[in-house]
Amino acid sequence: MTTPTTRIWDPTIRLFHWLLVGFLAFSWWTAEHHEMERHRFSGYTILALLLFRVYWGFAGPRTARFSRFVRGPGAVVAYVRDLGSRKAHAADGHNPLGGWSVIAMLLAVGLMVTAGLFASDTDGIESGPLATYITFDQSETASAVHGFVFNIILGLVALHVLAIAFYLLWKQQNLVRPMLTGRRPAQDHETTADLQWSPVRALVGIICAAAIAWAVSRGFHFGAAPTY
Amino acid sequence: MTPSKTIALSVLGASATILALTATLATAASPAATAIATRHANFKKMGGAMKVLKDQLTSGTIAKPQAVAAARTLAAMGRVQPKLFPAGSGPSSGVKTDALPAIWTDRAAFDGKWKDYTTQADKLLAAANTGDAAPIGAQFKALGGTCGACHKQFRADK
Repeated sequence: MTTPTTRIWDPTIRLFHWLLVGFLAFSWWTAEHHEMERHRFSGYTILALLLFRVYWGFAGPRTARFSRFVRGPGAVVAYVRDLGSRKAHAADGHNPLGGWSVIAMLLAVGLMVTAGLFASDTDGIESGPLATYITFDQSETASAVHGFVFNIILGLVALHVLAIAFYLLWKQQNLVRPMLTGRRPAQDHETTADLQWSPVRALVGIICAAAIAWAVSRGFHFGAAPTY
Repeated sequence: MTPSKTIALSVLGASATILALTATLATAASPAATAIATRHANFKKMGGAMKVLKDQLTSGTIAKPQAVAAARTLAAMGRVQPKLFPAGSGPSSGVKTDALPAIWTDRAAFDGKWKDYTTQADKLLAAANTGDAAPIGAQFKALGGTCGACHKQFRADK
């Protein structure tokens, strides 16, 4: 009685997704509680996640690739026109509109992390590792951007959750389960090929992303560790 | 001049005088507003001085003249700033400020925080004069602690 399924999300993309969810929440929590050491750590982790995701957009399996899921206006309009239909939409990965929401999310979180790296609190005590390269005024501006972009991220997260709820209620399609298991139900006579991914490529990306994030976290100062 | 014209003119003159007076009152900042603006500018200088020290500590190279100048600013502000919180210069003044009313209801504690700050700022100045990163770093942290302790109690959390 098992329904046939087809794999659309590779393990690293799922890990990326859920780690991003967790660390976004952790970043918010640590900021609220002024736990700046942990807040910075969370930001560096998100930076590594983003770097990996961009790399995976070129080196990953087909559903991870930008060239596959970033679609033109024609595809997006056709998809939106079909939204009202209660028929399940069997996308091989991101749907044409969802692809753009991925881009928006990556840009917003990227801007958030970048601003945070340069930000300084108004007291000049807590700051991102790259604040040393700019003036106090510029650092305070980065802080303001960092605070503002959080609202954009909240908006994108809300849209994302709404879309999932819409699919669940209107199209009776569960999008969360595939993000956990990697597989979605196959349609009748569907012949979508199984997803191929390379653990070696993934490992290379993870190591590079972590190394770059670490260098950034040190503000590119590789001498003795700060004395305080 | 007809009586009606005289009355009209005097009314006009009186209105102009009242208008001018109101305008003067509105533009001349109240003592509270002046105190708030001055202490804000000073806090900004303190933030800038802290960043100078922090940047040097992070990069691992101490530039003594700049470090000493920053520490001097910080020590001097410990003496100036407490006087810039006159009664009525809190949120009730209508001017934008993060100063909490607790400053004026618990003035002794507030002044005590400034004393802690100044003690540590003086030690930081002594450390800066050594030009050595280790004591400056330790004292930077100690001073930052007094900033945070006071902000926690007396500054609005944004």
